[in-house]
Amino acid sequence: MRMTTITEAIISAALAQHGSSGAGEAVAAHAAGVAEHAGAALTSVDGPMWLGLIPLLPLLGVVIIAILACFNDKSKLPAWISVGLIGVSFILTLVTYLGWDGHSVIHTRLWEWIGLSWGDHPGQTLSSGFAFYFDGLSLLWMLFVTGLAALIGLYASEYMEHDLGLGYCRFFAAFCLFVFSMSCLVMGDNLLMLFLGWEGVGLCSYLLIGYFYKKKTAVDAGMKAFIVNRVGDLGLLMGMLLTFTTFGTVEYDALFTQIHAGTTASGVPLADTWQVWAIPLLLMGGAFGKSAQMFFYVWLPDAMEGPTPVSALIHAATMVTAGVYLVARMMPLYTADPNHVALTAVTWGGTITAFWAATIAMAQYDIKRIMGYSTISQLGYMFAGLGVLATTGGVFHVFTHAFFKATLFLACGAVMHGFAGQLDMRKLSGLWKIPGFQITVIAMLIGCLNLSGFPFTGGYFSKDMIIAEAFVTPDSVIWGSSWAGWLLLLTAGLTAYYTFRVFFRVFVGPVVYEPGEDLHGDAEHFHPHGPKWAINLVLTLLAVGCIASAGLYFVGGEHGWTGGMVHASSAVVETGHGKHGLLFGKNPHEIMFYISAVFGFGGILLAAWFHGPVGLAGLLIGNRTKADVVRMDPIARAIRPISTWAEHKWYVDEFYHLVLVTPLKVFAYLFSWFDKLVVDGLVNLFGGMPKVGSDVIGETTQTGVLHDYAQRMIAGVAVVLVVVVLVVF
Amino acid sequence: MTDAVLMLAQADFPTPMGVLTLNHYLFVSTAMFALGLIGFMTRRNLIIMFLCTELMFQAAGLALIAFGRYHLNFDGQTFVIFILTIAAAEAAMALALVVLLFRRRESLDADLWAELKG
Amino acid sequence: MLVLLILLPLVFGAVVLLRPNAEARRWALLGTTLCLVIGAFLLGRFFTSEGGPMKGVGSFEWFPALGLSLSVGVDSVAVLLIALTLLLGPICVGASWTAIPESRARLFFGWLLVLQAAMVGVFAARDLVMFYTCFEFTLLPMFVLINEFGSTNRHKAATKFFLYTFTGSIIALAGLVYTAWAVGTRAVGVDGFTMDIATLTEHASRVLSLREQGFVLAAMLCGFAVKVPLFPLHTWLPLAHTEAPTAGSVILAGVLLKLGTYGIYRFVLPFVPVAVYEHAPAIAVLAIIGIIYAGLICWVQTDVKKLVAYSSVSHLGFCVLGLFALNSPGLTGGVLYMINHGLSTGALFLLIGFMYERYHTRDMRQIGGLGAKMPVWSTFMVFFVMASVGLPGLNGFISEFLCTMGAFVSHTPWTAGEAAQVGATWGPLGPWFGFAAGTGVIVAAIYLLTMTAKMVWGTLREPPDHADHDDDGPHLPVDLTAREIMTLAPIAALCVVFGLFPTQTLIDAVRTDINDQVAFVHQRVEEAATSAGEHLAAAEQTRTEAPGSAGNPAETVEPGVTP
Repeated sequence: MRMTTITEAIISAALAQHGSSGAGEAVAAHAAGVAEHAGAALTSVDGPMWLGLIPLLPLLGVVIIAILACFNDKSKLPAWISVGLIGVSFILTLVTYLGWDGHSVIHTRLWEWIGLSWGDHPGQTLSSGFAFYFDGLSLLWMLFVTGLAALIGLYASEYMEHDLGLGYCRFFAAFCLFVFSMSCLVMGDNLLMLFLGWEGVGLCSYLLIGYFYKKKTAVDAGMKAFIVNRVGDLGLLMGMLLTFTTFGTVEYDALFTQIHAGTTASGVPLADTWQVWAIPLLLMGGAFGKSAQMFFYVWLPDAMEGPTPVSALIHAATMVTAGVYLVARMMPLYTADPNHVALTAVTWGGTITAFWAATIAMAQYDIKRIMGYSTISQLGYMFAGLGVLATTGGVFHVFTHAFFKATLFLACGAVMHGFAGQLDMRKLSGLWKIPGFQITVIAMLIGCLNLSGFPFTGGYFSKDMIIAEAFVTPDSVIWGSSWAGWLLLLTAGLTAYYTFRVFFRVFVGPVVYEPGEDLHGDAEHFHPHGPKWAINLVLTLLAVGCIASAGLYFVGGEHGWTGGMVHASSAVVETGHGKHGLLFGKNPHEIMFYISAVFGFGGILLAAWFHGPVGLAGLLIGNRTKADVVRMDPIARAIRPISTWAEHKWYVDEFYHLVLVTPLKVFAYLFSWFDKLVVDGLVNLFGGMPKVGSDVIGETTQTGVLHDYAQRMIAGVAVVLVVVVLVVF
Repeated sequence: MTDAVLMLAQADFPTPMGVLTLNHYLFVSTAMFALGLIGFMTRRNLIIMFLCTELMFQAAGLALIAFGRYHLNFDGQTFVIFILTIAAAEAAMALALVVLLFRRRESLDADLWAELKG
Repeated sequence: MLVLLILLPLVFGAVVLLRPNAEARRWALLGTTLCLVIGAFLLGRFFTSEGGPMKGVGSFEWFPALGLSLSVGVDSVAVLLIALTLLLGPICVGASWTAIPESRARLFFGWLLVLQAAMVGVFAARDLVMFYTCFEFTLLPMFVLINEFGSTNRHKAATKFFLYTFTGSIIALAGLVYTAWAVGTRAVGVDGFTMDIATLTEHASRVLSLREQGFVLAAMLCGFAVKVPLFPLHTWLPLAHTEAPTAGSVILAGVLLKLGTYGIYRFVLPFVPVAVYEHAPAIAVLAIIGIIYAGLICWVQTDVKKLVAYSSVSHLGFCVLGLFALNSPGLTGGVLYMINHGLSTGALFLLIGFMYERYHTRDMRQIGGLGAKMPVWSTFMVFFVMASVGLPGLNGFISEFLCTMGAFVSHTPWTAGEAAQVGATWGPLGPWFGFAAGTGVIVAAIYLLTMTAKMVWGTLREPPDHADHDDDGPHLPVDLTAREIMTLAPIAALCVVFGLFPTQTLIDAVRTDINDQVAFVHQRVEEAATSAGEHLAAAEQTRTEAPGSAGNPAETVEPGVTP
């Protein structure tokens, strides 16, 4: 009874944060007005030059570490330099945030990067400064990017200690370079700067996935990530160029002003142009590539070949959210389209990916890969959130996800570190009882609760905002948005299931373990070693961060702290919906807290039933006695083709290989052959003809006698003369 | 240059012995060239053949000078000075080569050399 | 001073030939370094002094009757290319320090210096004949370098290189001379026959009819497109690159290929702008085919040097595309591409050369996974691969982006209602060209990363008889020596500087000249279009006035002629 009261209190507090969800007038608020973009209305102030230090300090770190590498450094110095410099970047970001007035854009221009001018008219100057743009959105991103990077750097200082003197410098150089690139991506003042960071993080991702470069799978995974991203980048590049031809600029400020005016730079109403949907769709291609959505998701699971801190930072918390950032940043452009073509694509792309990845995650055994798929799935939520115009929800989910997913990965990393690379959940069980892993298990539990949307965790609030908004946004605005909402709800259940499948199998239950393949001694005398202070400290801090992130929902103004940040940025959307969507005849924001809790609990209970251990009295009803035998097995066998297909990732990789890679390779060989035989063959033929001719002629005419040559020469001259005479006279 | 001067120049080549026209020079030139050509074709002695080529050279030079004078243009003379210089250099080379060839075969017969037969 | 840059290498070439073999490389290094210093001084003076588009002129009449003069002068594009040439000079000498056996050092370094003189001569020429002489004279040293110092198949490669490019150039000469002839005979205000490039540029497009322009374009492309090389005239390049010695490959990729694109920039565009405008889409299609086709071929190569050679074909497709976009971003991109490709691909050839010196194989099935064994080499390799693949922040991206952008924004309105596409420029291409070229970026990532995966990553593979080779030649350490690093470091530094400060270093330097060039081409094409319109109108009028005798049809089809 008391429990219920507390629950209601929290929920009512939460509802109070929803300015739009309390009562009838909120519905009216939704219905009012046309699209209004606060982003364009933000005032602009010039920032100090030292803001440039935020990205440049990590870059300095790259240089210092490179010098250290030249001197063959074998200490942990690279790690401390990285953590220190990134930490300073974080502090500078924090100082910027604290000094920020909450409603203006801070501009800092260091130098002109690509500047080209061929006339004085608008659209005849391409200008992109090495310049930074701080509004709520970029500050929010920068806070968690630099903060998490510093923490994960600290974690990696211990995690990577096996490679001291081998790849330690390389790892931290790439790590620092990543923070530099990510900062450029987020803080960039124009699309080209974003692209600089965009490709830069791609490079770091490539280098770090392929960190264990002697493993072929790692090298291939790195390549795959880079190339798949490049496909998306083509979309981004084309979108950028189309933006330039349409608006005559790639700088955010000018761009948003222009979009706000509702016309292209040449005065054509935006709604009448095809660019208004083409540009967002192209940018979406880039975003989906970087964030592993839809057709592009295949690289992210493979990226788990990289060291775990990398997976945590790059492939979960920060880099993969760059796509979400891009869409959020370009929100004015997305909402400028009266038909919301691109937003519908974003919604459904995100929703389908969320569901699809969750189905695969349910059947995997590698715990890190499960986290990888869950990242894809959660990114799908974020995109769905942006698509259904819940930018605050999407961005909030980015923020909470960054914390809980980093926690989950780092906990997995601690397991991997302690068990010589073992990640197979069939060979690990009962970590709770193994000494030294308690902090890991608690952190993991907190992360899992967040991921599965357990009530009152950060993940619960952020996910609810998205799903509720999917129902709020009428289907007439975003095609099928309520259906997307139902699919997302179902996915929330699946998420809870696969998350706790990991937890129940690996972290509780009977103590069973086998060392992984990175074992150096013999397997008989293997003892798992628990993490030391750095990993434990970081896990603790992150777990606290996970819990604290829920609190952000309750501070600040409308829609919590994130709402305030988003409102002071270009990502804010205040679109007048034709009518407020309802769920079971009620305001979706009000009842979503209950519905999603039901789905979440359902998932967790199913996981407990199918995978839970014996002995955790009362709460759990599972009966697992071994690591690799669970109650799920007969069911998995019963639905065999489906379960095996899911385990094999629905054979998507194989399909791509068949329809894309193989034909391309065939073409490559064909071209190579064509080049050698036909193109070069023709050249050789032309080159050969005179030789053949000369062989024939040479036999008869080239006598070598001087007088013969003279005779023929004279004869030739005579003929020419005769001809000339005949023609001229 | 005025047309009057040009017409005056082209009218004739006044000499103490009478009037020589352009045709006179061209006739001499042609004759020299023909002699050189016939000599080159018929003789087999390398030195004679070489002299015949020189003859043809000078024939061409003569024609050039005559034309140059006719058009009151000194490019012809320039060319001839070029030709003379080059011919001198070439003569030195050619004679040296002839000497070398003679040392090989102890003969100046051009037809003895047919190594270029292709 | 420019004349000095041409004469000095020749003088040092003579010195190298006269001094003993053992001293050859030192003299060569001294000569090229001296040139570099002078070049740096020239560069500084060029950008600080005032002057017309062709600054730093020194001239003397050579053969006035035929309009020949030895006249040198540079604009900003040429001066940058000269700077690139001069920079690669000492680098090539340094890279060949041990690779060339001492017994033949005189021959090698002597020709290398002569080659440098010829290359500077091409860029510095203000006279068509001087340009062409130097253009062709580059063939001879390169022929010797490949033929004498190349690997197994060198004779075939050298012959093919020489004959192929020479044949093309002869046809180009015909086109150039025809232009000069037309200007000399038809142009108003031109006194006699002239070979002065500026004069020709001023008049050529007006005196040549559209039909003639087409032929001249074709003729000139025969020479320049072979040199670039543009698909399908590229087959000499992989062979020549593969067989050439390291320094030869570096010069070939770094400078010689740029002679073709420079020729396009300097002659093709301003001489026959109307024909260029008309045929640009076709040429752009060839360039794009080259980008993708050569890129895919790269992917399946086993010979690493051949791979990089084909990548040049692919990369220079971007350059040609940019040049034929006929707008400011495109031309800027094309010019920047010349510089940046010279740096990054030159460096890749250097790296492969250093590897070859140690392992005597270029077959990626035999050699690879050098990451652990040669960490410094691998670091540089990854760095230059990234520069080459067009990573923003390094030099390759700027030029690739501007070329793609040039093609993308270069279009006449898409639909009637969109006449005022504000960011679009006048030009013959369009977004689809930009898009198609953009796919080349993906292909570039595929083949360059495949190369990296084979050469740098993975487990170590060495040729089985590797140990046997350790005896012959000077002994080299496992990883790069300080000398080798010294050759790579300046290039790497420039890659970063050009990548982060492209505007300050390159774009601003060439902006005025390029904008003038674009405006010139634009104006001439508009002029021709207007005059064609007038002719059509006149013909129409004639037809209506006198039905039956429909005027002179020849008048209507020669819009390029100014009566």
